[in-house]
Amino acid sequence: MSHPFAKILLYIDGSEPSITAAQFAIVMAKTFGSALTAIYAVNENLLSELLGAKVFVQMEKMDYERSLEDDGKRYLNYVVKLGEKKGVKVATILRKGVVHEEVIKEVADGGYDLLVQGELGEVLSLRDSFYEEGERILRKVGCAVLVVRGKDRVERSFSEL
Amino acid sequence: MKLTDYITPRHVKLGLEGVGKADVIEELVGILVDTGDVTDADTIYDAVMKREGEGSTGLEKGVAIPHAKSDAVKRLSIVVGISRDGIDFDSQDGKPAHLFFLMVAPTSESGPHVQAIAKIVKLIKFDKFRDRLVKAKKPQDVVDLIFRVENGDEEG
Repeated sequence: MSHPFAKILLYIDGSEPSITAAQFAIVMAKTFGSALTAIYAVNENLLSELLGAKVFVQMEKMDYERSLEDDGKRYLNYVVKLGEKKGVKVATILRKGVVHEEVIKEVADGGYDLLVQGELGEVLSLRDSFYEEGERILRKVGCAVLVVRGKDRVERSFSEL
Repeated sequence: MKLTDYITPRHVKLGLEGVGKADVIEELVGILVDTGDVTDADTIYDAVMKREGEGSTGLEKGVAIPHAKSDAVKRLSIVVGISRDGIDFDSQDGKPAHLFFLMVAPTSESGPHVQAIAKIVKLIKFDKFRDRLVKAKKPQDVVDLIFRVENGDEEG
């Protein structure tokens, strides 16, 4: 083993904390010479639940699914461009399904050493914590996890890289 | 995302006056105009009515979640309307709707829109929460109740 972070997976959901995590993951990849992959998963499960609750109609569900997929591509492309600025190649993965399951499965299948994710959203209640994808990933993923906090400091490290 | 980041007392109307679906939606869109969230009421009204044409958003237990995507709003906008008497909204259970959550989001904000709808769907499952919303005496009570239940300070 060359170093403990040879393969890094970055989980992004389009939130500001996940973009900060992307910057930190790029800093790490550049510093350690790690292979970096970014993953975004469309929450197809949630859309299906809303369809089941009859809040969405089928066409609408498909429309939102496409829309969220486009969002995912846009976020992934943004991370690739961030990497290019610093000479770090970022591979991308776009999945659909149950978000935390998709991320956990990719970690297991891809043999990653480290998962990098953004600061967790404010958990408003215990009930919410059962549904928060970042929280579920953190609890269940089978590798080391780095939760990135401190936006200003990360931005400084990124710009100085 | 927190619903109360989007719902202020100005986004709440107690005692809706509309007598049918079109009236109520017009009234709810009017609130968005009053709050300054939208200027082009007609575009929003048309988008919401078009969505209703594809299938009523009147759910069960007196709740309706009319919604649409439109670039006539700059960010996700939510309005809560309450009718104690109830309004015919072509609901799934055939009963009048008492609680209305109008939600409109720009086409580029599907993520927050879906999360907000899912959150409301989760909260309205609580009988006590729905009852207390319907019986609210002033808009601030509605915002406070949503805040407390959302924060887990109170069960629905």
